[in-house]
Amino acid sequence: MKNLNRYGYYFIAPFWIIFLVFSIYPVALTFYYSFTNYTGSGEAQIVGLANYKRLLTDTYFVEAFFNTWKIWGVNFALQIGLALILAMIFSDMRLKLKGIAFFRSIFYLPNLITISSVALLFGILLDWQHGSLNMMLLKLGVISDPINWLNEPTSAQLSVSLILTWMWFGHSFIVVMAGVSGISKDYYEAALIDGANRWQTFTKITIPLLKPILLYIMITSLIGGLQLFDLPMLLTDGIGSPDGSLNTMVLYLYNQAFKYNNYGYAAAVAYGLFVITLIFSAFIFKGMYGKERKQPRQV
Amino acid sequence: MKKKLSMFLALMLVVGLFAGCSSDSKTSGNGKKDVDLRIWSFTDELKKPIKTFEEKNGVKVELTIVPIADYPTKLKPVLESGVGAPDVFTGEIAFLKQWVDAGYWENLSEKPYNADELSDKYVPYVFDLGKDKDGDVRALSWQTTPGGIYYKRSIAKEVLGTDDPAQVGEMMSSMDKVFEVAEKMKEKGYSMFPDEGSIRWFAQGDNPQPWVNDKNELQLTEEKIEYMDYSKKLRDNSYTALAPEWSPSWFEGMDKPVKVKEGGKEKETQVFSYVLPTWGLHSVLKTNVKESVGDWAVTSGPTPYFWGGTWLGVYNKSDNKELAYKFVKMMTQDDEFLTSWSKETGDVLSYLPVTNAIKDDFSDKFLGGQNNYQFFLEQSKEITPGIVTKYDQQLDTLYGNAVQQYVTGKKSKEAAIKEFYQKAQNAYPDLKVPKK
Repeated sequence: MKNLNRYGYYFIAPFWIIFLVFSIYPVALTFYYSFTNYTGSGEAQIVGLANYKRLLTDTYFVEAFFNTWKIWGVNFALQIGLALILAMIFSDMRLKLKGIAFFRSIFYLPNLITISSVALLFGILLDWQHGSLNMMLLKLGVISDPINWLNEPTSAQLSVSLILTWMWFGHSFIVVMAGVSGISKDYYEAALIDGANRWQTFTKITIPLLKPILLYIMITSLIGGLQLFDLPMLLTDGIGSPDGSLNTMVLYLYNQAFKYNNYGYAAAVAYGLFVITLIFSAFIFKGMYGKERKQPRQV
Repeated sequence: MKKKLSMFLALMLVVGLFAGCSSDSKTSGNGKKDVDLRIWSFTDELKKPIKTFEEKNGVKVELTIVPIADYPTKLKPVLESGVGAPDVFTGEIAFLKQWVDAGYWENLSEKPYNADELSDKYVPYVFDLGKDKDGDVRALSWQTTPGGIYYKRSIAKEVLGTDDPAQVGEMMSSMDKVFEVAEKMKEKGYSMFPDEGSIRWFAQGDNPQPWVNDKNELQLTEEKIEYMDYSKKLRDNSYTALAPEWSPSWFEGMDKPVKVKEGGKEKETQVFSYVLPTWGLHSVLKTNVKESVGDWAVTSGPTPYFWGGTWLGVYNKSDNKELAYKFVKMMTQDDEFLTSWSKETGDVLSYLPVTNAIKDDFSDKFLGGQNNYQFFLEQSKEITPGIVTKYDQQLDTLYGNAVQQYVTGKKSKEAAIKEFYQKAQNAYPDLKVPKK
């Protein structure tokens, strides 16, 4: 009888071994390093909470925090807005659009391109002297001097936001469409008979019933957004110029660790990032579900 | 039976999951038998020498090439643990200083290597850079990489009246003179340089100082601050083609006129000169220029400088140090090999016995028959040793950024310098940074 349970453990052992070696151990080691002044080689000395103290007063980290939020925020608003509008159009009972599958793949396509190719592509498109965008605007007479898109703080941030939107709205669209198709057609038919217009159907039926889906998109996007790294790294010189506007939290972490060899401090930054992600995820989760629990569920 | 089967299945799962790792360790495990020497580098330039070495000694060498961006982060763990580590590995100038002090390279000053005895035989700054903070030799290099200004002969003749490298060099022997030439170039519709960054190698002026001195103080010399003004002057007077280094237009400008848009106007301009070191000729100019072959020459700028370079040394936990040093020896001290190597690649060697023997009858068709070898050797003698620090690459980037802020008019000079100080302090908290 007592032997029966053992095989289960054998079967889950591989997962746990891998998990311990490749996930728990590095996380624990990082935690240890966050209390040291480890520089990548030689011995690490324990410095107590010095790294965390520095983190709390580090203006560059604060700057990175707000940059990350700005870039993610604009991107998310556009991305979810676009996804919802598209979902509304494609799920409209009156329009009955065809070829959803085709558009779904087209919209999703940018997500499949590796980020380095995307950075290269936009690096060329946005090039100051010879980029297509400036060429076009100059030809149309919109601007008289070429704009150095990636050299102005605001336009650089906006560029990254828009590129991210372009990459991710297809993904959100698919998830939203999946959510929409899960909503019973009865509601819409009833609404149609009752004479509700498109906006009313959308705000009164689609949005409330999509709440779990939207929450899912928001939290995953937030976690991904707070880890924003590769585009800012590849688009300019890798240290977050112009004027530190592309200095995101993970880019800052990367530079501290692998460029300046401040491994100890970088570990502290990593834990700071972890706490921030945790807080905001909990915040969003509570914000969206907390209220609902207080009210009796409607039928 | 059931028990055995499930045990077997569980085992299979574990084996399957670790398969990825085991295939790797297999090659390095067996490697001890099949491969006599393992070498890591970030370029493929060692491929040919390795072949020669294999044939000469009847051994098998395995070369692992890691892209430069990942090189230090990939190399560090294997050297630290000693598992799958190379016997010989190379270091690039950008991180050389960290590595000679990190203690992974064998001390070549000790017996049986006695590398100190070689000191007279090398270009001083090259030999110097391979030493650690105690003055022991850790790595050696076969090349020297001083820089010059490559210019187009036809434009020089038209604008300056001569294409002779010595005379053109004289015309650019100080920053003020460079601007005189730049003005003449502009009058005829040419661009002096591709962009402002070109002159960064002359930023040290006549007073080369390390970024960080032995008291751990950050030093921003007057000359370096002056360089900000020079950069801005280049931009403000439209002396450049606004083509940043390594950008498509930068490469295009080598062979063809490039279009420049500024102040609502578009003009077409040809770039007169590129500031590049020895390797710039072979791996940058020659690979990008098609039409203007033979129309180039190289001369000296306001101050001597060097850019890049590859050093190599023996891993101190290597099982095969003797053979490893044999390879290092061949790369850096073998007369026969080095002679054929430099003739083949045009690499400017740092090993003086060979360079002295071959320097006189060198000429390059690309440079209109100029003996660039002799020129670069002269330049390399004037380089001040001991100004390279482990901070250089990052501080250069941060400072370049500050200069850019000033040049584009986004920040005042003071604000740009202040920001540079703050960022340098943030990157290296232990540095003593002037509080301005």
